[in-house]
Amino acid sequence: MSDAVAPGKIAADIVAPPRAYRPGVVRRFVRHRLAVLGVVLIALLGIASVAAPYLAPYDPDEIDIGARYAPPLAENHLLGSDDLGRDVTTRLMYAGRISLSVGVAAMLVTLVVGFAIGAFAAYLGGWVDTVLMRLTDVMLCFPSVFLLLFVAAFVAPSLTSMALMIGLTCWMEIARIVHAQILTLKQADFIAAAEMAGAPAWRIVLRQILPNSLAPILVAATLNTANAILLESYISFLGYGIQPPQASWGNMLTNAQSDFQVDPWLAVFPGLAITLAVASFNFIGDGLRDALDPRLRRR
Amino acid sequence: MLRERLTIGRRALLAGTAAATVLGHLRAAGARTPGQLIIGMNEEAVNFNPLLYVNTGVETSVEFIVFDAPWKLDPTGSFVPNLATEIPTQANGGISADGKTWTIKLRKDVLWHDGTPFTAADMIFTLDTLLNPKVVVRSRNGHEHVETYKAVDDYTVLIKLKDNFAPYLVSWQKTSVIPKHVLASVPDINTADFNTNPIGTGPFRFKERVAGSYISFTPNEKYHGGKPKLNLLVQKYIADQQTMYAQYQTGEIDIYDINGIPPVLFAKAKQIPQSKTLLSPSPFVEFIYFNCAKPQFQEKVVRQAIYKAVDKKGWIDAVWYGVPVPTLSYLPPNHWAYNKNLEDPGYDPKQAAAMLDAAGWTVGADGVRAKNGVRLAFTMSTTAGNKPREQAQQLVQQNLKKINIEMTIKNMPGSVVWGDYTIKGEYDTLMVAWDPLLYPDPDYTDRIHSKLIPAKGGSGSNYVQYENPEIDDLCAKGVAAVDQAERKKIYDRIQEILLEDVPFAPIFSWQAIMAAHDWVSGYTVNPYTSTNSWNTGDWSVT
Amino acid sequence: MRRYVAARLGQAAVLLLGVSVIGFALMHLAPGGPLALYTLNPTVTAQDIERVKHLFGLDQPVYVQYVKWVYGFLSGHWGYSFFGGRSVAPIVLERIPATLELMGSSLLLALAMGVAIGIWAAVRRNTLVDYGTATVAMLALSLPTFWFGLLAIYVFAQVLGWLPAGGIETTGNGSLIDRLTHLLLPMLVLALVLTAQWSRYTRSAMIDILTQDYIRTARAKGLGPVRVLVGHGLRAALVPLVTLAGLQLPLLVGGALVTETVFSWPGMGLLFISALDNRDYPVLMAILMVGALFVVLGNLAADIAVALIDPRIRLSHV
Repeated sequence: MSDAVAPGKIAADIVAPPRAYRPGVVRRFVRHRLAVLGVVLIALLGIASVAAPYLAPYDPDEIDIGARYAPPLAENHLLGSDDLGRDVTTRLMYAGRISLSVGVAAMLVTLVVGFAIGAFAAYLGGWVDTVLMRLTDVMLCFPSVFLLLFVAAFVAPSLTSMALMIGLTCWMEIARIVHAQILTLKQADFIAAAEMAGAPAWRIVLRQILPNSLAPILVAATLNTANAILLESYISFLGYGIQPPQASWGNMLTNAQSDFQVDPWLAVFPGLAITLAVASFNFIGDGLRDALDPRLRRR
Repeated sequence: MLRERLTIGRRALLAGTAAATVLGHLRAAGARTPGQLIIGMNEEAVNFNPLLYVNTGVETSVEFIVFDAPWKLDPTGSFVPNLATEIPTQANGGISADGKTWTIKLRKDVLWHDGTPFTAADMIFTLDTLLNPKVVVRSRNGHEHVETYKAVDDYTVLIKLKDNFAPYLVSWQKTSVIPKHVLASVPDINTADFNTNPIGTGPFRFKERVAGSYISFTPNEKYHGGKPKLNLLVQKYIADQQTMYAQYQTGEIDIYDINGIPPVLFAKAKQIPQSKTLLSPSPFVEFIYFNCAKPQFQEKVVRQAIYKAVDKKGWIDAVWYGVPVPTLSYLPPNHWAYNKNLEDPGYDPKQAAAMLDAAGWTVGADGVRAKNGVRLAFTMSTTAGNKPREQAQQLVQQNLKKINIEMTIKNMPGSVVWGDYTIKGEYDTLMVAWDPLLYPDPDYTDRIHSKLIPAKGGSGSNYVQYENPEIDDLCAKGVAAVDQAERKKIYDRIQEILLEDVPFAPIFSWQAIMAAHDWVSGYTVNPYTSTNSWNTGDWSVT
Repeated sequence: MRRYVAARLGQAAVLLLGVSVIGFALMHLAPGGPLALYTLNPTVTAQDIERVKHLFGLDQPVYVQYVKWVYGFLSGHWGYSFFGGRSVAPIVLERIPATLELMGSSLLLALAMGVAIGIWAAVRRNTLVDYGTATVAMLALSLPTFWFGLLAIYVFAQVLGWLPAGGIETTGNGSLIDRLTHLLLPMLVLALVLTAQWSRYTRSAMIDILTQDYIRTARAKGLGPVRVLVGHGLRAALVPLVTLAGLQLPLLVGGALVTETVFSWPGMGLLFISALDNRDYPVLMAILMVGALFVVLGNLAADIAVALIDPRIRLSHV
């Protein structure tokens, strides 16, 4: 379908929707100091991870049994070395690649799945709505760690499978948001106008509804990223996470536990990295909520 | 002491060192209840029916505390009569000249915990149950060789075997007798109350189990082996090794048993006051298991080269702090049948590389060796989360990388790795520990005979898919021979061939680090049983 | 009201059916199985494994197994554990008291602290108190619970030696004080996240209410601040908070699972983990159903409570 003859396109252009952008978003966001701090921290963690091959002082898998369990600030090892003598700083940076990727990828999965289910249910209505939203309810009945473990126990762990698993068990909130938004918007005049102009359903969803439900979705997505990073560490802790020698913050922490007697420091840094990353995303989400839609503000 | 635990090392927590000392003194200073002994274990016993339970080690411990078999093995490896009056031999007429007819004479002074006398009928009932197709017994322990059996009188059992099967002596060491008068009327033994509320003939009676916490036992005053010295025996379950270590330090538990102190804490454990550490040798041998059916491993030179390229000593020292004993065979070096003349291929990456070069496995453009289009690349699997194994895998990975072999770690939850993945031969290599089926008998037929490959429809445990007619022949001869010197010759040869062919690469024989406080006496490690609870009647505390 | 409850019960039944289908399918269609533990037992042969597989019914098609399971579950026969040698029901039910002890005490503590902090923050809106509690709550929500648990054990059990490192009681000493000292750390760790959430929600709910006219009226009438807050404010905030209590249940159950693991607390979570490791299907299904039932009934109870408190909601839902 070329743009020139698409009635939906014309319809969409005629009936200009109230855009998601609202003046002062940036100003309001910047005023949220913790959110700004979150952005800075995530940027730092992100750079350290992405640039790990250039910045890291060692090869992450380089084993040096003679130098195992070096304490922080030891010679050559800023944050010490682990049970196989590998540099903790280096591994933290490489682990960040995995953990942050899992977080972001899982968030994308929740977005796609949540949006698809919520939108289809609300837009098509009828039995589709009933079935999809009941499914959402069923999924919400499982405690997420419970469900996740259940799935993780049956799937070989890798970056992709972890992201999919976490994503597929955490899309419910987004589905509900989208569902509710669309039900509200369905009655809105500009949608009715678009429908009357003959725009196809998918077009209306993409062009009209997506921008309008952007604010709450963006907030939920940020919080989902935080949640996904946390969940990755839980799965690792319970033994079903990313496999060695590849490092993730979660499996570094798991690995450190059995050495707590020998070297408690090994557990401190990955735990801090997780907390910092998760808190940053949470603060950003909070800031976005305040900035994007003052009505959503939890005062 | 089931090495291949499915449970993973994730519950690794921390322990109390500072606190430990303070509380430890309290406990040592007399807070202990007189005559009460607490033994700590990392796994939980849940099924107490000696024929049904699956988790060897922790559940065997309960079996030995509550039940008896016709004879037991002492720490020297000698059989000692228990429910039987003597060990059957050809000399005393217990075994017929053709080795097929066995007569077991029973003690007349044995009582079940409820006071009912123990008789030959209980032995017969035990065999009935073992061979009953409706009962979920974990293993028939070699009793599938039985043809007919009957009670000659109340205290004599006569068993006819289908073939001459020397390891049958071990079958009756591993088979505890269950009470007919309790179980005969139970509609389904699989769910009988007996399974969690057992009645045996052993030194202790089962008292209670608190799920997730502990199991306690009271002494059987009328025990035929003499009245036990303890007033109360508790088997405490502590999921996490580090917590258990802390509780051992404080004296909250008296004995640190299954699965032993983590090697990384060995040095520290030796310094705990009023305590001694004990190395408990076990029948388990740690292997790299090759799937000989895979194209990479069909030539023995590849397996030999890998065995040579792996730094076995470095592995033992770095991961296990030098605790386990190196072995070149499927038997621990202290076993009577261990071939002392095996020649150690040693650690020599250069020679390993040369061997591969000579065999045509040359280094390709991608830096990995290949031959006829087959890359020398493979995965190695074990239970995910088993930390020492993961460390060892990473060491092996580095060793092999040096001679241009690409090894990838592919660990999965235990229930995946040790299911069809292993049985049906889907794996490339495994890191695993196993022991012979009827240990301490050296028979290894089940794991090496060419007709016992489950991936090819066989009914054994030859997961490496090893086929060698000479081995098949020797295995048959080994179980039929009765004279120990004659058997030793056969098993020497088997070990020699296996070391040459390397269907599995033996690394070391397991030793767990147990510990007992000084106030405990009688606790003795037994290399021939899967638990050290073999003589609880003799344990005491002062 | 009766119609409302009946409709909700019907929905709950459908939900539980869905949970059981998803759970059962996931379990049986995935690789691996309960027989691995048998493989690893050195005395077990391949023949034994085939025999045991047949006895457990694992050689039947999945749908046959499912139908049998549903029939058994509904008629009260939850099957028997592949490893425990007895029925599933007592295995699961005997773990419930420990889990309830931990969850109940944490929930009560979190409720008390969360509501108090929430009111405090609401009253002192946009002051240092408000920002401070918000930041701390957000940080608490960002901590990996198990890591926090480990650090707590390290500090309080290892360094200071004040509290035990795990377990529910010292063996042979089941005194109340002994049990309480064992409960303290896991309870605090589990309560932390809940408190953080409660304080945030209470704050929002209170702010909504405090700006309402009738509160202003009450103030104008000269009622004391405490009576205004508790008598009028909190009562009105009850509706959203009770709903929240229902919605928090999955979080609570999940948190309890992790906390139990960290502190070797012998409840359902620990049982779940070991059943998962062993693939003890009947036990897993039973825990899944009991957990889901708990969540569904909790939500239902919360909804009914809300309906009772506020008749308007009842009407709008039917």
